[in-house]
Amino acid sequence: MADLQDDLHTAAEIGRADVPYPEEAVLVEPATFAPVSDPDADPLTRAHAVLAAHPVADGYNGLPQTLRRLSWCDLALGESAVETDVPRLRAGKVGAMFWSLHLPDGLAPDRAVAATLDHLDLAKTVVAAHGEGLYPARTAGEVADARNRGRVAVLFGPAGAAALGDSLGVLRSLYTLGLRVLTLTGVSWAGPAGLTRFGEETVREMNRLGMIADLSYASEPTIRRVLTLSKAPVLFSRSASRELRPHPANLPDDLLGDMARTRSLCMVPLAAEQSGPTVRDVADQLDHIRGVAGPECVGLSGTYDTGGACTQELADPSCYPRLIAELLRRGWEESDVALLTWGNVQRVLRGAAFAAHAVQQRRAPSTATVGELDR
Amino acid sequence: MTSSLDRARELLREFPVVDGHNDLPWALREQVRYDLGSRDIAADQSAHLHTDIPRLRAGGVGAQFWSVYVRADLPDAVPSTLEQIDCVRQLLARHPQELAPALTAADMEAARAQGRIASLMGAEGGHSIANSLGTLRGLYDLGVRYLTLTHNYNVAWADSATDEPGVGGLSAFGREVVREMNRLGMLVDLSHVAATTMRDALDATSAPVIFSHSSARAVCDHPRNIPDDVLERLPANGGVAMVTFVPKFVLQAAVDWTAAADENMRARGFHHLDTTAEGMRVHRAFEETHPRPVATVSTVADHLDHMREAAGVDHIGIGGDYDGTAFTPDGLNDVSGYPNLIAELLDRGWSKPDLAKLTWQNAVRVLSAAEDVARDLQSKRSPSNATLESLDSPDA
Repeated sequence: MADLQDDLHTAAEIGRADVPYPEEAVLVEPATFAPVSDPDADPLTRAHAVLAAHPVADGYNGLPQTLRRLSWCDLALGESAVETDVPRLRAGKVGAMFWSLHLPDGLAPDRAVAATLDHLDLAKTVVAAHGEGLYPARTAGEVADARNRGRVAVLFGPAGAAALGDSLGVLRSLYTLGLRVLTLTGVSWAGPAGLTRFGEETVREMNRLGMIADLSYASEPTIRRVLTLSKAPVLFSRSASRELRPHPANLPDDLLGDMARTRSLCMVPLAAEQSGPTVRDVADQLDHIRGVAGPECVGLSGTYDTGGACTQELADPSCYPRLIAELLRRGWEESDVALLTWGNVQRVLRGAAFAAHAVQQRRAPSTATVGELDR
Repeated sequence: MTSSLDRARELLREFPVVDGHNDLPWALREQVRYDLGSRDIAADQSAHLHTDIPRLRAGGVGAQFWSVYVRADLPDAVPSTLEQIDCVRQLLARHPQELAPALTAADMEAARAQGRIASLMGAEGGHSIANSLGTLRGLYDLGVRYLTLTHNYNVAWADSATDEPGVGGLSAFGREVVREMNRLGMLVDLSHVAATTMRDALDATSAPVIFSHSSARAVCDHPRNIPDDVLERLPANGGVAMVTFVPKFVLQAAVDWTAAADENMRARGFHHLDTTAEGMRVHRAFEETHPRPVATVSTVADHLDHMREAAGVDHIGIGGDYDGTAFTPDGLNDVSGYPNLIAELLDRGWSKPDLAKLTWQNAVRVLSAAEDVARDLQSKRSPSNATLESLDSPDA
């Protein structure tokens, strides 16, 4: 029951319903913290102990797209054709993950909605077929529920903004189907110049629903506008520090600071291209972002099964304890590790749901159209 | 001595109408782009719509399949269908005291017990699934409980009643769509489809089918109506044919008049559905010299008499197509009119138990039976990942 209590600790958050949005209500004090590992044990042993109490909530996994190319798979007993399967998730102490519904490049825009429905259907079918290991989750409560049942929670998203077909009705239907994260790139209303009026209305409607914005790969004007506008914390589903490694999806320190002020979450990818080729490089990234943005604003994103090169020694989800051992070796407090792996994602999920409850009190579903607002 | 109408109303209080097809969502989309506040169905909307809650109540409606129809001739059928579904969900959220979300037969019975109008959804045309069983399952997850296999045009895997023969009924993928709908518990709706498609679907299905809004071809020879050989298969299948009121389908004089009016438009160089000012002027000129024949309650009752004869009293129902048709019969002008139809049938000697089957019991039984079939099939079959290409390409 300790798990459940941890997850419910933020009752204080609920108690602040009268406080005006956005700042205070989403600022949640971290839970009081009791260490679980023996400080004298070796780092890898400690990593396993910490992860047993605070498993990894992985911000980005590309399995749905990869499985589309396979006619058959067995994730329950182990599947050599992919990087992610239940045995390796269990070995790596992964407790939750976001499944990307991003579509392959070059898909005709008018196919995007139907293709997203197909993707979502495949993801749900795969989860349902592996009920011993996986559990579909839509809320922080369901993620905790999955854990209590000994399953890995699967959250659906991010999907690309093109999945909306420029329609807020489609946004609401996708939310109803379980989509929880949307990446704000690749559409006329969230492009290099930032958000259009329809883009802003979309963010407001996402807040009303509890759909979390993902800003990795979004343009800097989009990022800045969403951080100002959003009533709920946002995610960067796969962004590292540009200070350490230049990459278009990595964030400069000033943006990391802006992100931290909204208590949003930068999820560092275990991808060689973005974070660096070695475990130490990833740990350097985590050190840096924790330093700039604080321990409440950094998370992990495996980016497994996305086709990119993984960081060495972190070739699949079973390798998470190695990374955590490196952080403990560097003197990370257990409490910071716990936020990194699990607590921050839970907070963002709850923040989105809480903001939605509040916004629903004063906003009706939006009937705005892109034609009306942007032309 | 109480009047037939009083007795009809009393009967409907116990066994209200399950209506198979109402296009209110499409009307709200076209008229006000889903600005539901400007067409508040809690108040009288008779100036704009056939449907609002007070008139549903007056009509004794206890369950409504809301159509989430979208046009088949535009490329955005799937997103538009999701918008239509969202519209229904918003209507339910706005009127929780009156409209009860319903996904199952048990939900329908619960709504009846609470005195709310059970609200279900049906998608009108295979174009809404874009040749994808994944999308079909997505619609099911969103609450859609029937799919009409086609609308007015063929889809790649099924022929429409109002198009040229294509695949000659259902293709192999079309049969797989039916099987997957059986597995999900989504009703197969055979309104709008060609008779060949009706027969193929009855061969392929393991669950009862519905005709959400179709009448009898023997009474009025229109392709949208159901031939007798198909009606006669319903007892074995268990399904239900829900009579529709659309005058140009149910009244032979209206069928002929519509054909002549369309011909008049074409002869003057207009598309027969042209609604521009100029097109309407031509149409009105025709109407002045050729008065439009008017269907009545009795016209619809003639269809039901025949359908009861051909299919049996356990296999008939009602699907008015309100807000999906420009004209309605006299006495069935809007959703408040159902008591007039029941009164007419009482006058024709229909018994109370027969009328209870017509209005409520048959439709609920069909959904319940489809759920049973789905539970059985789900224990035997996984979701189908067949594609149009894998089943229907020439070398498949």
